[in-house]
Amino acid sequence: MQNVVVVGGSIAALTAVEMLRMEEFAGQITMLSAEDVPPYTRVPLSKGVLAGTESVDDIVLGPMADEIDLRLNTPATALDIDRQLVHTSTGPVPYDGLVIATGGRARRLGRPDQEERVLRSHGDCELLRDDLAAASSVLIIGGGFLGMEIASTCRELGKDVTVVDLAPPLDRLLGAVVGKYVRSTATEAGVRIVVTDGGVRLLGAPAPSGVELVDGTRLEADLVVSAVGDVPNVEWLIGSGVQLSGGVVVDAHCRVTSNIVACGDVTVMATGDGELTRAPHWTNAVDQARAAVGALLHGDPARPYKPSEYCWTEQFGLDVKMVGALDPQGEPVVLDGSLDEGDALLAWPDASAPRTVIAVNHHTPPAKLKRLLRRPATART
Amino acid sequence: MLIEADRDRCEGHGLCADVAPEVYELDDDAVVVVLHQAVPPELERKAEAGARVCPVAALRVVT
Repeated sequence: MQNVVVVGGSIAALTAVEMLRMEEFAGQITMLSAEDVPPYTRVPLSKGVLAGTESVDDIVLGPMADEIDLRLNTPATALDIDRQLVHTSTGPVPYDGLVIATGGRARRLGRPDQEERVLRSHGDCELLRDDLAAASSVLIIGGGFLGMEIASTCRELGKDVTVVDLAPPLDRLLGAVVGKYVRSTATEAGVRIVVTDGGVRLLGAPAPSGVELVDGTRLEADLVVSAVGDVPNVEWLIGSGVQLSGGVVVDAHCRVTSNIVACGDVTVMATGDGELTRAPHWTNAVDQARAAVGALLHGDPARPYKPSEYCWTEQFGLDVKMVGALDPQGEPVVLDGSLDEGDALLAWPDASAPRTVIAVNHHTPPAKLKRLLRRPATART
Repeated sequence: MLIEADRDRCEGHGLCADVAPEVYELDDDAVVVVLHQAVPPELERKAEAGARVCPVAALRVVT
């Protein structure tokens, strides 16, 4: 293999490039990014960048090594597997090894003539930030990590904030106990949370003015933001022969074929029960890129993908770090501190074999949290 | 090669230490520590890889 093309410009693509370099890959590395800025971290987009306290320079993950041929504003438009070519807006790019890392884009709820704001890319963030400056009230659809982080930043900026979702925000991720705790912190900070029994309908165009709930209730605001997940960027692969099923289907080594791998938010992978799932989180993009490059260079003997099962959120002054299974059920065992005091280390379902550990404002390295999953933990009494 | 770590930005996610344990560590407060004042040549690529997986861009590679 002499010529690896990495399609994508975010963390999965960047990690793939860095892993190729770490593995002493001596050939040409070309990175094709659809974006107009070098690889950056999206994590601060809902926080400092949205608040206007950080610029794109603060979040760029470069500079890239000189030997990398990074091409910005170069979206891939098609893949020709037989001829080993990636077609782009500026012409075909040949490869003998290919890394697919085109990620996803924000999912939208509006009709084509409705332009609600979303937050996924730096470009999305600039539009949202500018609109926010002129708004006094914000309606956020979706109460996952992203929606609630946007809510937190909007409150910091003094906006009137409503979050609407089909279920109590965060429960699906953090479980009912920590979910309720974070929600109560958000409510104390002035966020109005509305849980509705059915889908919402966006009102107004081109800029939506609010939503209508299934019971006819209307929620209105100066600015409407959808934070309802993302859609994998796979259109350029349609008809290429790459198997698509809600994303690029990869094996346990993140492979598509022997010389094509895929990593990050664009992928789906079979879980234990055979169901294809996505895991669109930062750490997963890094974990998959490491496995993908290993498989591309070394084939079967490479270490297969192993998820580190770590995610986090920061909102309303809370730093929440989580390892293990999402949505832990029931009451946790308190390993240290207490939620009432705002500093806690919690484990589910018990301390002898935790499947989930959550640290709330508890400064513990994630590696230590992960060790608690493997080793019986002792509750402090 | 030098690595500049912004300890105020660091949120203790530990991906740097996961990718390049020879170069990065988290202290007991989960804040990054760079183990080499000047990165030895044989660890440079690892140091770069570790710096570029930081979700809060707290690590800068200076050459």
